Amino acid sequence: MNISDQLLGALSQYGLPVLFTVIMIAAVGIPLPISMMLVAAGSFVELGEMKLWQVIVVASAGAVTGDQIGYALGRWGGHRVIERIRRRENGATRIAQAEAFAKRWGATGIFLTRWLITPLGPWLNLTSGMAAYPWTRFFLWDVSGEVLWVVLYVLLGKFFSDRVQTLVEILGNLAWVIVGLIAALILGWKLLRYLQPAEPLKRAKIVAER
Amino acid sequence: MKPDGWQKWIVLGALTLVILVTTLFAVRTVRRAIFWRTHRDEVIRPWMSIPYIAHSYRVPPHVLYQALGIPPQLHDRRPLKQIAGGQNRSVDELISSLNEAINRERANQIPSASPSQPGRSP
Repeated sequence: MNISDQLLGALSQYGLPVLFTVIMIAAVGIPLPISMMLVAAGSFVELGEMKLWQVIVVASAGAVTGDQIGYALGRWGGHRVIERIRRRENGATRIAQAEAFAKRWGATGIFLTRWLITPLGPWLNLTSGMAAYPWTRFFLWDVSGEVLWVVLYVLLGKFFSDRVQTLVEILGNLAWVIVGLIAALILGWKLLRYLQPAEPLKRAKIVAER
Repeated sequence: MKPDGWQKWIVLGALTLVILVTTLFAVRTVRRAIFWRTHRDEVIRPWMSIPYIAHSYRVPPHVLYQALGIPPQLHDRRPLKQIAGGQNRSVDELISSLNEAINRERANQIPSASPSQPGRSP
C-alpha cells in the first residue's frame, strides 16, 4: 500500500482528526496527497459518512494552522539566512527589494497559491515570513484562499463522488500546467526584454554626452 | 541593465524546459479527461470502504458484503485493507472477489449487456 492508500484508509476510518493533521503537515511543506484527501472527504459527505460543514471547517483550520507555522518558520527561523545575505555586497538593497516585492504582490500571491497554484503555497509561507510581510494581511488572505480551496475540492468530491481518483489525477496535472504556464509567461517576458535593443537608453546617453 | 550574453541563454534554456514539462502535464491532463469521459468505474484500491465501492460501481452494498462473506453493516467505514486483515486474506484476493461480484451483478441487471472488466486504467 502506498502513502495515498494509507492516508485515505485512515481518513475513511477515523475521519476529521486525520483530515486536520494531514492537511496541516502538508501546508508546512511536507508533500502529502491532500487534494485526494479533500476530494475523498467530499465523497464521504455524499455517502453520509461525514458532514459538509464539519469537513470545510476542519480542513480549512488545518490548512491555515500549517500556513501559520510555515510563516513563523520563515519569520523567526529565516533570520540567519537574511543576515548572511545582508552582509554580502548589495545584500541590504536586495532584501529591501524582496520586501517591497512581497508587499506589492504578496496579497495576490498568497491568495492564488492557496487554491489555484497550490504547489507553491508552502514556499510562499516561508518567503512571506522571511520578508516580514504583515501578519494580519497574510492571515486574512490565507484564510480567504484556503476556505475557497477547501470548498472547491470538497464540493467537486461531493458531486463526482463515484470517480474521485480520476478527478484528483486531472486536478493534480492541471495544477502543474497552471504553474508551468505562469513560469513560461514570466520567462518569456524576461527573454523579450533581453532581446529588445536598449535603443531609447542609448539615445538618451548620446544626447546627454553631447 | 544590459544582461551578459550567457544570461539570455539560461533564460531561453529554462523557458524551453518549462514549455516541455508543461506540455507533458497538459497531455496527461487531456488523457485523464478523456478517460474520465469514457470510463465511469474506478480501480478498486485498498483504502476504499464497501459502501464507497458500491456507490462507485452502482451496485447494492449487500452484494459486495455477500461476496466477501461478511454481514452488511450500517455506516461501515472500514477500508478493504482492514477487512482483509480481519479475514487473513490479501487485499488483492478481496479485490478480485469484489470485481467478480460486480460483473455478476451487472450481468444480472442488464442481461443483454456484455460484462466488462471493471476499473481498468489506461
